[in-house]
Amino acid sequence: MPNIPNNADSNSTAVSSLGDQSLGDSDSVSDDSGPASASESGPTNASEPGPTNTSGPVFTARGIEKTYSSRLPVVGRDVEVLTGADFELYPGEIVGIVGENGSGKSTLMQILVGALAPDAGTVDGDATVGWCPQETLLYDRLTVEETFELFGEAYGMSTERVRERRDELAARLDFEQFLEYRVDRLSGGNRQKVNLAVALLHEPDVVLLDEPYTGFDWETYLAFWELTEDLVADGTAIAIISHLISERERFDRVVELRDGQLHERAEPPQQARSAAHDSSSSSEEVAES
Amino acid sequence: MSALGTATRLRVVELLRRPRTLVGLLVLPPVVVEMYGTALASFPQLPTLAAAPATVGRTTGALFAAAFLAGLVGLFQLLSARSGDERAAVAGLPRHTMLAARLVTVTLVAVAASVVTFTVLWLRVDVAAPGLAFASLVAAGLLYGLLGVFVGTVVPRELEGSIVLVFLADVDNALSSGLFPVELSVSLPVVGEVGVTDLAPLAHPQELFTTAVFEGTYASGHLAPTLAWMALSMAAALLAYSQSTGGSSHGLAGRVTDSLGRWAA
Repeated sequence: MPNIPNNADSNSTAVSSLGDQSLGDSDSVSDDSGPASASESGPTNASEPGPTNTSGPVFTARGIEKTYSSRLPVVGRDVEVLTGADFELYPGEIVGIVGENGSGKSTLMQILVGALAPDAGTVDGDATVGWCPQETLLYDRLTVEETFELFGEAYGMSTERVRERRDELAARLDFEQFLEYRVDRLSGGNRQKVNLAVALLHEPDVVLLDEPYTGFDWETYLAFWELTEDLVADGTAIAIISHLISERERFDRVVELRDGQLHERAEPPQQARSAAHDSSSSSEEVAES
Repeated sequence: MSALGTATRLRVVELLRRPRTLVGLLVLPPVVVEMYGTALASFPQLPTLAAAPATVGRTTGALFAAAFLAGLVGLFQLLSARSGDERAAVAGLPRHTMLAARLVTVTLVAVAASVVTFTVLWLRVDVAAPGLAFASLVAAGLLYGLLGVFVGTVVPRELEGSIVLVFLADVDNALSSGLFPVELSVSLPVVGEVGVTDLAPLAHPQELFTTAVFEGTYASGHLAPTLAWMALSMAAALLAYSQSTGGSSHGLAGRVTDSLGRWAA
């Protein structure tokens, strides 16, 4: 599979070039381009494209299996988390991933980004990826500026572009005044802002967010959703692990991880996005998330 | 600046923001050297000792201080940033670059600990070949810095990792000092019959060091084993580190996140 050029230093996204990318498992990919059916509930239905997409998926996961095995031979027990999860994400769609605590959402996301190896299954794609993990996996003793410098280097960005993007994101998420602070001296909410901004630094084609707004204040929470709307409008594919019922209307699709597999939720996708702006979620809900 | 340059610079910055570590690097060497000297001062002058017991004690303490401090920094280098490294690897920073940056930092600490330790020792002991003695201390520090990285990846908790390292360094130093002769030997493939004492990681740096300090000569037969131990520790650290910072491979898919944080064929 050919690589698309890295768009880290470009203001434009590479989504338009992604649409025709073939995938290794393309024989199992639905050619449907219409909205997901509201009545679907089978375990493989989490791969239906979003309502606004006519192109192919930006990435595909097939038959993902993961079991956490105990290292204790007698008293320990294995925990089967994923039992053949399928997932596809299309350019310009925003997908919610829901599920009970311990259902394996974070495990799935770690497998999707390559932080964790699956026991079985495939993940195929050809896009730049931004990952915002649930825990702020950052270096405590580096300043926010230094953190961006390091991750900019990891993404292969130029120094100037890192600064531009850092300042853009800091302004957007309101942590400009903390750029010279060490990460371990930030509040939980500000640390989470940096955690999110690191994932978005290189303008990835795909953004995978694991409960990204934990600890956000209300204003930042709203700014976050405005930011995601803009990203989606630019063609970025976004998957968000969420626990808030009130947020489901913000998604094109909602998939539920249950019994180790992803199931499409019966959500009316199209009107949801327009209604999302009218969401009446409370700031308390954000804090509790 | 290259990825390695940036990563190394930021690792050093992180280290310098650990005031307790820096204080430890300055305070512990003189304390350990003097404690060892005082502890052995009451020993009788045995024919197996190369110098007065207090002098031997200070020399042994110096090697322990340089090695253990570097090992401790190696351990905490890994523990403090393991999760960050995992994410940076997913973002595209090559694991070998991150590990190299950490090893450079450990090397700097090994040199710094050796400078402080050697200075303290030199003030108290007449060192016959200072250059050789200092190089031996650095070798011991590097060896334990690598072992610290290994312990940090295998036992990724501060308390347990520190305990393992303390016991390892303590037993190793006691065995290799020659103060407590152990007659036990084992038969190994290729090398044949080897004394247990010779298998202690610090045994050969210890010989290099004490020979340089007391005789002013180079114990050539101990250089290769020292380098072999360092190579072994390096390999163990590399393997453990690549395992502990997660799998970038999508395994069965045969696809790996490449250096730009994207999936590659």
